[in-house]
Amino acid sequence: MPALPDTVAALIGALNKLPGIGPRSAERIALHLVQAEPAAVENLARAILEARRRVQLCAVCGALTEASPCALCSDPRRDAGLVCVVERATDILSLEKSATYRGKYHVLGGKISPLNGVEPEDLRIAELERRLEAEPIREVIIALGTDVEGDATSFYLARRLARPRLKVTRIAHGLPAGSGLEFADEITLSRALEGRREIE
Amino acid sequence: MHLAHLRLRDFRNYPRLDVDFAPGFHLLLGDNAQGKTNILEAIYLIATLRSFRGVGGAQMVRHGQKGYFVGSHIIGQGEHDTKMYWSVRERSLSLDGRPVRKLTDYLGVLRTVVFCTEDLLLVKGPGRGRRRFLDLLLTQTYPGYLPLLQRYTRALRSRNALLKQAAADPRALEGFSRELVSAGQEITRLRRELVPRLSPLARLAYRRISNDAEELRIEYAPSVRQDFAVELAQSQPRERTCRMTVIGPHRDEVQLLLKDRSAAEFGSEGQKRTLAIALKMAQAEYLTGIHGSPPVLLIDDVMGELDAKRRGGLLPLLERAHHAHGQVFMTATEENWPRELAGQVQRWTVKAGALERG
Repeated sequence: MPALPDTVAALIGALNKLPGIGPRSAERIALHLVQAEPAAVENLARAILEARRRVQLCAVCGALTEASPCALCSDPRRDAGLVCVVERATDILSLEKSATYRGKYHVLGGKISPLNGVEPEDLRIAELERRLEAEPIREVIIALGTDVEGDATSFYLARRLARPRLKVTRIAHGLPAGSGLEFADEITLSRALEGRREIE
Repeated sequence: MHLAHLRLRDFRNYPRLDVDFAPGFHLLLGDNAQGKTNILEAIYLIATLRSFRGVGGAQMVRHGQKGYFVGSHIIGQGEHDTKMYWSVRERSLSLDGRPVRKLTDYLGVLRTVVFCTEDLLLVKGPGRGRRRFLDLLLTQTYPGYLPLLQRYTRALRSRNALLKQAAADPRALEGFSRELVSAGQEITRLRRELVPRLSPLARLAYRRISNDAEELRIEYAPSVRQDFAVELAQSQPRERTCRMTVIGPHRDEVQLLLKDRSAAEFGSEGQKRTLAIALKMAQAEYLTGIHGSPPVLLIDDVMGELDAKRRGGLLPLLERAHHAHGQVFMTATEENWPRELAGQVQRWTVKAGALERG
């Protein structure tokens, strides 16, 4: 079989580095692109460049935005007293889809992970502390994952952020909505039990 | 529960193998290095996703090939198909045609207990082997154990990485300590419950197969005596010198005592060998008790090492497996197979990576 032209091989290599795209998909996309209408490919290239040029991280909360501070930070209708701490900028999108949270956000940019060389200084914690000084924040809601690193980071934040007249809370974890007990694993169930609440 | 079909591709010395197995005794006969043990290894791999020879995937690929495939049809309470492919670049595992996302959904489809020469390390080797013995048994009987153990290991490794740093943030360390303690306490509790249930089974098995009247006792010696959180805090000075976590379930011991004396130190070679088999028999009995059906027994040549009297002690276990519609796979050479089983066995001849009836 004749080898692919070098440029195509380079394109496959570049595509293969993208998340969720394995060697086969990379090859398929690359072969599609080099045979497609030049205008369509130019549009795609322009869209990628444009998006990358315009999108930045919000200087305040760390969300993905075109203008800093972002729409979430500058929205006067959102409760400035509430800040929800998430791991990644994309977590904001998940929370926004639920449409129940009306406060502001703060993206940490990771979680403490000694095995991956991520230390507290590598996260946007100092930025959060500055916000606590500057903004009228009364509650910090920690919405990190419940793996070992997520739990340890939550605990760390609770200790480090503790100050008078500030409430630090953590989102509840337990049973997924609309499912029975039989589908929950033991760890989830024991946490759901720990986090039980009185029925009002 | 039994393995009804086994399919191998480029596994060890088998280029292709498709074979049906009925319940009952299967005796795999053949000269050395023909591939008898490889069959047992494949069956054990289906059950635990590990090799009992303690090797990684690369060693199980047939020489000069890219990857191996191991597939099976298992008949137990339901029927299941498993497929496993391994190569350096790609590995996949599927159950009933669907990729396996959580190991807990997969483990338990096939339960096995293996008897092999490496078992001797359970008695003579370091504590790690004995902890793994308990862990495997708990994984096979308690669905939440594996995630718990993984959580503990993750917290332990994170914590150790922090302790190695010159100036780790004490609050970050505390965060991982909490995770370590909450998973660790649960592990200690489950191991503490397991050992007293296992000990009488092992004592009975030992008495049945041994020539001596010495009493066997298994004792759990947890690294944490009472309160993990308190003891972890107390261990801080030692932690600082060693730069790692010095107490916790990863330092637990399981003591094997013959007449109240350590079998590893004071036992004879024969006693140690008998003891290793007794532990495995106890494991099989325990699994049978919990699940109501016996695990598939994989016996690799150990019968040959035992004299007729000790071999006789194993027979009740094998017969019970037979009556309960279980399955036993046993490897042996033509000279040393246990003739007393002649009436009930299904004989197979293993030669150069092929399997034939009779």
